[in-house]
Amino acid sequence: MVENTVVVNNPIRALGLDKKAGQGLQSMGVVIARAGLGKTAILVQFALDCMLLGNKVLHVSIGQSVDKTRKWYDDILAMLTDGEKLETIPEILRNRMIMTFKESAFTKAKLEERLDDLVKQDIYKPECLIIDGYDFEHNDYTSMEELRGFMSEHGLKMIWFSAVTHREDKRVSANGVPAPCHEVDDLFDIVLFIKPEGEQMKLDILKCDDCAVHPGTSLSLDPATMLIQKG
Amino acid sequence: MNKDLSKVRNIGISAHIDSGKTTLTERILFYTNRIHAIHEVRGKDGVGAKMDSMELEKERGITIQSAATYCSWKDIDINIIDTPGHVDFTVEVERALRVLDGAILVLCSVGGVQSQSITVNRQMTRYKVPRIAFINKCDRTGANPERVTRQLREKLDLNAHMMQMPIGLEGDLAGMVDLVTMQAIYFDGDNGEKLRYEAIPAGMAEEAEERRQALLEEISMFSEELMEAVLEGGDIDAALIYDAVRKGTVSLDFTPVFVGSAYKNKGIQLLLDAVEAYLPSPTDVENFALDLKNNEAEFKVSNNPADPLIMLAFKLEDGRYGQLTYVRTYQGQIRKGDTIYNSRTGKKVKVGRLVRMHSDEMEEIEECGSGDIVALFGIDCASGDTFTSENISCSMSSMHIPEPVISLAVIPVDNKAQINMSKALNRFTKEDPTFKTFVDHETGETIISGMGELHLEVYIERMKREYKAEVQVGAPQVAYRETITNRAEFNYTHKKQTGGSGQFGRVAGYMEPLEEGDYEFVDSIVGGVIPREYIPSCDKGFQKSLEKGALCGATITGVRCVINDGAFHAVDSSDIAFQLAAIGAFKEGYMKAKPVIMEPIMKVAVEGPSEFQGSVMGSINQRRGMIIGTMEEGNYTVVEAEVPLSEMFGYSTTLRSLTQGKAEFTMEFATFKPVPKGVSEELIKKYQEEKKNS
Repeated sequence: MVENTVVVNNPIRALGLDKKAGQGLQSMGVVIARAGLGKTAILVQFALDCMLLGNKVLHVSIGQSVDKTRKWYDDILAMLTDGEKLETIPEILRNRMIMTFKESAFTKAKLEERLDDLVKQDIYKPECLIIDGYDFEHNDYTSMEELRGFMSEHGLKMIWFSAVTHREDKRVSANGVPAPCHEVDDLFDIVLFIKPEGEQMKLDILKCDDCAVHPGTSLSLDPATMLIQKG
Repeated sequence: MNKDLSKVRNIGISAHIDSGKTTLTERILFYTNRIHAIHEVRGKDGVGAKMDSMELEKERGITIQSAATYCSWKDIDINIIDTPGHVDFTVEVERALRVLDGAILVLCSVGGVQSQSITVNRQMTRYKVPRIAFINKCDRTGANPERVTRQLREKLDLNAHMMQMPIGLEGDLAGMVDLVTMQAIYFDGDNGEKLRYEAIPAGMAEEAEERRQALLEEISMFSEELMEAVLEGGDIDAALIYDAVRKGTVSLDFTPVFVGSAYKNKGIQLLLDAVEAYLPSPTDVENFALDLKNNEAEFKVSNNPADPLIMLAFKLEDGRYGQLTYVRTYQGQIRKGDTIYNSRTGKKVKVGRLVRMHSDEMEEIEECGSGDIVALFGIDCASGDTFTSENISCSMSSMHIPEPVISLAVIPVDNKAQINMSKALNRFTKEDPTFKTFVDHETGETIISGMGELHLEVYIERMKREYKAEVQVGAPQVAYRETITNRAEFNYTHKKQTGGSGQFGRVAGYMEPLEEGDYEFVDSIVGGVIPREYIPSCDKGFQKSLEKGALCGATITGVRCVINDGAFHAVDSSDIAFQLAAIGAFKEGYMKAKPVIMEPIMKVAVEGPSEFQGSVMGSINQRRGMIIGTMEEGNYTVVEAEVPLSEMFGYSTTLRSLTQGKAEFTMEFATFKPVPKGVSEELIKKYQEEKKNS
């Protein structure tokens, strides 16, 4: 059994999002990085922390298989613990469900339809939603607004997205949020940016409304594992 | 048979059920002149396909037992194992993969990557089997090889690329464009045996060129020469392309995809060419054996016919002329009359008849060499045994054998049936390690256990048909297990004085949960408090106790028994006295060790139209299932879940009615997990009642 204390980096708690959720406040966050810099690893760390806090997580993976997504959890958990696999901890595993969609097939309506199948039959009612692989380039402000509305309608504590930025795309919002999220940054409460600095990897907190950590703070990531480092 | 190992291919053909593997094998045998007429799996002529030699297979139209065959294509010798598609027969697939160097993964152009394709692919990955994919049934309505190739990449995570483009699809399938030679190929003659090469149809030329470029870009990473040639531009030698694709395939980094229709005799000869060009020969792959004299250290087998023999028995069949043992040689040679050693038993055996199998027919051969797959007659051994020359002591690494999860009682109707049933069970258990049988001492019933309902059903049918053993069959039962969760001490004295010599033995120690393995016995006795000769008696007593747990009568696993104290009597102690003392000690400690009942959990995949996803998930939820995830595939959704086997009986009927027959499911054993409290109480109550009534 994994004790909460075993997980050295509890990003939800580090940002104070658990307390925020306790006050009934919802959070929508995004992790932005160039391709291959470890966005999914960060999202999975958030998801695991949610699960360890007893919340039900729905992990929507766009363009990846269920098996691949499961493997992310096992790999991250194995690095955080002593090689534990989620399958061996049923009480935590029960807090996760994975849904995969094709890139072209994911819409808020479809997600709602699938989620209704679960909620109405009282099979699974998620409290945290992870959306990995959302296509920000081809979805507009309204779509994002709808997803923010979705969070309220379904009583979710938080939604976390990942977004891919490109080196050559220099667009940024007034708050310094890079493309492709520069035009929707006001819809997010938290914006994190993974930035390589020489041999180091940094997780910059660009925006964090009602958080325990101030914007402008930079956390260190272990470049080998992409785990958020303690301290 | 070819002596040049580079001209040998040992291949398997694996796929989801009903993807057309047996039809494909039938065509391969026809084009390689092994058979002279084509018979369909469910053909009107009633002959059945060549590889479906078992009566039952012909009737059901599915392959149950894999059969080995051999054929020659151009100057290549090919050993083929046709493997079953149903998940209950997975051990056959696994055994085949263990001894093969390469495989053809057959997919249906309409069904695409289905649940069993995922299982088979996982097995191929486990045994590092290079594979080529064949998208069959391109003549069927709804055929979409592009989509299937995409699924190979997305669902199976294979670097799959089409090596051909179909010319027409569904009813219009005429031939294919070879993207390496850039020719159109058509299949003429009554059975598509005449290949006609032509220029690429005008309307397809541009797309073919684009696809070839994309293919070249992809495969050039496996060959520097090809990369240079691509960068330089101009004509590219086909040999360079073959070489790059072969390298990528052998290293498991690339999966070439071929298309066709076995039923319509299109594309099979090109697939055979691909087997030759891209799948590895025995010398291209590394196989390892365990050195039994050196602490089971792994070493690479040489493939050299001049070296001492190393040969693995991977399949047994009890035929009309005695036991037939299928073997794969990894190094050395064997000849008729040679003496070889079974490294498990240490026994010497003489090679009598040596045959090459062609489904249920055989041809006598004098010798066979490294890399070959043949069958031996009249050798007594178990599946998985290694045979070697006298001067070496090694074993091929053990095969992964899943535990049986379902059992049922079989009751012979009369004495004759009893004798025949015994013969049949003896044969089946030797042939199939996942099929087990034992007699329940309390009820006197013979219990058979296996990997699923169909698995057991097939053996019952075979008992009736092949052995004329008429049996009554009980309802299928889940193979529960019991295990302990705590450490507990025991200290038990067995003492009996009923006239004549008495019985005395005291056994003390503790039992504790064992994380890996079923049972471990540790002797920590010092000072001879239990004499040496009675230590094995204690072990035997504990092992007897494991047969039936006190909670629900299931086998107990995961227990370490440690004895550290005891006492004996110079006259009254005996083997039986210590066995009974150990049984008593186990009984004493068992309930204190907080035993639990474990049940088999199955990994279930339900595939059906998305509109039924809600009902499917509801049905899984009602069955104590845990939904792991859902995968949206166009209008189809796959729901993956873990469900207790006990809840899955009759699920096919439920699913059919819930989804208007549009969804299907497969399941395979995943793990054992403790049953919930309510279920546990019910099982205990039921067992107590049974005990009371018996």
